[in-house]
Amino acid sequence: MKIKRIMSRVVAAIGIGLCTLPAISTAQSAFSDLPRNETLILENPEGTIKNAGWFNIWAISGGGQSTGLHQVGMDTFWYIDPEKGLDGVWDNSLASDKPIYNADFTEMRVKLRKGIFWSDGVEFTAADVVYTVETQIKNPAMRWGAVFNLNVASVTAPDPTTVVFKLKKPNSRFHALFTVRWNGAWIMPKHVFEKVADPLKFDFANPISLGAYVMKSFDPDGKWYIWQLRDDWQRTSLGRFGKPGPKYLVYMDPGPPEKRVIAQLNHQLDVVHDIAPEGMFTLAKQSKTSLGWFKGFPYGHPDPTLPALIFNTQNEMFKNKDVRWALALLIDIKGVSMASYRGAATISAIGIPPTGTHPSVYHGPMQDWLKAFEVDTGKRKIKPYDPNMGKEIADSLRPSMGAQIPTDRKQIDAAFGMGWWKPNPTAAKELLEKAGYKKVGAQWMTPEGKPFTIRVMVEGDTRPIMTRAGSMIVQNWKQFGIDAKVDVAQGTLPTRRSAGDFDTFIGWSVETWGGHPDLSYFLDSWHSQFVAEVGKPQPARNWQRWANPELDKIIETIRTIGFDDPRGIELGKEYVKLITREMPIIPLMAYNVFTVMDETYWKGWPNSANPYANPVPNWGNSRYMLVKLKPAK
Amino acid sequence: MRAFIIYGLKRLGQFLLVVFIGVNIAYIITHATPIDPVEQSIAAVTAYGNTSPEAIDLMRESLRELYGLKGSPLEQYATFWRRIVTGDFGPSLSSFPTPVMTLIARALPWTAGLLLTSTLLTWMLGNLLGGLAGYYRDNKTLKLIGVIAMGLHPVPYYISGFVLLVVFGYIWPILPITGGSDININQQFDLNHVVSILKHSILPAASLMLIGIGSWFLGMRSLVSNVVTEDYVTYAQLGGVSHQRILFSYVMRNAMVPQVTGLAMTLGTIFNGAIITEQIFGYPGIGALLVGAVYAGDYGLVLGVTTFSIIGVSAAVLLIDLIYPLLDPRVEAS
Repeated sequence: MKIKRIMSRVVAAIGIGLCTLPAISTAQSAFSDLPRNETLILENPEGTIKNAGWFNIWAISGGGQSTGLHQVGMDTFWYIDPEKGLDGVWDNSLASDKPIYNADFTEMRVKLRKGIFWSDGVEFTAADVVYTVETQIKNPAMRWGAVFNLNVASVTAPDPTTVVFKLKKPNSRFHALFTVRWNGAWIMPKHVFEKVADPLKFDFANPISLGAYVMKSFDPDGKWYIWQLRDDWQRTSLGRFGKPGPKYLVYMDPGPPEKRVIAQLNHQLDVVHDIAPEGMFTLAKQSKTSLGWFKGFPYGHPDPTLPALIFNTQNEMFKNKDVRWALALLIDIKGVSMASYRGAATISAIGIPPTGTHPSVYHGPMQDWLKAFEVDTGKRKIKPYDPNMGKEIADSLRPSMGAQIPTDRKQIDAAFGMGWWKPNPTAAKELLEKAGYKKVGAQWMTPEGKPFTIRVMVEGDTRPIMTRAGSMIVQNWKQFGIDAKVDVAQGTLPTRRSAGDFDTFIGWSVETWGGHPDLSYFLDSWHSQFVAEVGKPQPARNWQRWANPELDKIIETIRTIGFDDPRGIELGKEYVKLITREMPIIPLMAYNVFTVMDETYWKGWPNSANPYANPVPNWGNSRYMLVKLKPAK
Repeated sequence: MRAFIIYGLKRLGQFLLVVFIGVNIAYIITHATPIDPVEQSIAAVTAYGNTSPEAIDLMRESLRELYGLKGSPLEQYATFWRRIVTGDFGPSLSSFPTPVMTLIARALPWTAGLLLTSTLLTWMLGNLLGGLAGYYRDNKTLKLIGVIAMGLHPVPYYISGFVLLVVFGYIWPILPITGGSDININQQFDLNHVVSILKHSILPAASLMLIGIGSWFLGMRSLVSNVVTEDYVTYAQLGGVSHQRILFSYVMRNAMVPQVTGLAMTLGTIFNGAIITEQIFGYPGIGALLVGAVYAGDYGLVLGVTTFSIIGVSAAVLLIDLIYPLLDPRVEAS
């Protein structure tokens, strides 16, 4: 009897607990008092910020930055949109005009807008800019301290709306520091920081804002940040484009991919920053209100970043371009596209991301050159380029994906990319033999008689797309008789990449403005002057540690011409031709970001048909979509 | 009493030695990590931003100086111990210059609240049901519970967590699936906030309890099954002592000793955090803090969390050793 009594009490307690769950849960209402139809909820891909109350973005690693802080709380002179932009790609934000250089690029003059105010009512002036630069010069451990130290001889403000930078050496791209592509050198509020003893140790709590929104509240545990539209939003640079739609912005950490899917299915996350292809497909199938960048397949937004197989060219095995080319001709890009993105990849054979202005400036115009391009295998000359590879990927997907796959060639090129290298194991064999390699039994051997072993370093589960691409490439090489292995680096990747502790890895050393054809954003760092010795840390971004006099000449010429000089495009094409011949990296595809937008509460999202802004919510440039968003209900 | 004091002092000495060795091992391991916090910081800056290679070299130098990584290994080791004896683990390198202790102090209450409650509830329920099942071996309900416990016991936390996530977050969406409390809630000590915290802790706690109860249940059932065959239990039954008294005063009390040890050990590991649970449910706590610190190569923070964990487990063992003679008269200090 006693046992029954005890058991019945336990069962009753559990029953009561279950019955009261709905009552106390109020159907997952995650917000206590924000009106949902005025609130835009975006994913912060930084996750949970462990030092949540730190808003000093000028201190490295102090706290979060994609918490809305740099998207809507900061501002600087110029923005370049990776897409078309609201009013063109270039936007004069705090500056009223483009940068004005002197003839030899040793001076840059900036005219500032009038009538821009900090959220505490203090007017923004040239004094803020001078303070920003001088403070960081005095503190080289601040975010832009080092780069200002190396470039700026002096900075002055002849009047409240003019700033003059005298540079230590000619630099035709100095303005790029103050031009947002994801971020830029944000301007500091002089009237706040000048009262602080050590700007590196100041948390900038209760941050004032130069953007259209101001901090309302945040979670001390770093899960969410809420920004509210400023009453005086017209007195910010974004005010030129009209009133932003959402009154409140919530930047939150929704958790791992499956929870992002659930959150959007429950309409509690308006913008998913990125997700694995499977998550994208689930949302596309189960939610009528979820949209990707493309209306249908392949959905994702191609970032101006180029995942590639990067050779460590200081490694003896990869010093010979014939070996690099042989390995490229063994890659089945269709298989890589399927393995990494389930086919939703935008491939690129050349060392430029197939996004923004680039397909029309580089990929398209260079098709004839690519078709005619020849590789000498030592026994014959082959034309490795297959201009229909993107179309073939689209065709192979059509039976399973149906009408989602475009049939128009232009749309296919934009979504899936144009051509790539046709797998050619025979030519690869000839190239390896030309380089002194030989096959013994089923195994390829190096000229020194050792097994040809290649480790392909990948990041692991933190970057699944590229990890899957690496695994597929390893498989391609293994099938040919090369002892290839996946090398999962996880959190050690930045350290190993910098130290050159890898054979090859899947990552990117090419990233561009996207919306502007100038390539100096990444190309300048490929100059041989920056290549580190074996064993020493390699500065970003030439992870392949490749030095080439011809490339140096291209870079040096680009340094002497203006940002908008049309000669830049011709030099860019020369760069493409050179690295196609030399293959120091094997370009694979754009880094397609599966940013998913929900139309339940907001409409007017940017997409491939109306590419007025980049929707990827951790980009500083994503602020422009706020002025186009309107309540859906 | 003198013997007990000597015994206690010996155990205290062992405790201090274990902590010293443990912290040193943790120091060596964290400093042997291939992850360089300076490179991690630089990678974060250069991942998106436009920074020239020359500037990166200068930044690298400046950060090494700022983070205090410039001294010799011996100097760094001496500084570490100087700090640790004053309870200061220095600044977190991935949240510079915020002190490690501040970050731990912010995360610990969440983990302690979640794990303390769920561990105690799990322990009590598991042992109670296990004790009943071991004593009333023919009861069908308890047999069924035994089968369920046996089935749930080997299920990993992340599976139970994921199932709960899908069931209560998507199929029957009545519970929050992420965070420690509601967005934009006034984080004062008031009813709304408390209810919000409780609501957010239900799923993570349930995922831990579902599996944990099975473990305690099975352990206690086995122990009780052995004890009930002892002569003194048979004698008590023949003597007409009530079942309730036999169960709770004779059987379960004797079977409890290893379970109490287990509880203390489990409570000691609270300082490790429930890493997987916290990741799955996006719950703020020590586990999530530790994972982030490992990825960032923030060895100051890793050491801080690890030291707490070492002290927690060692202190639990010490406590058990000290109270064992009180719990079980058969164990004597001498």
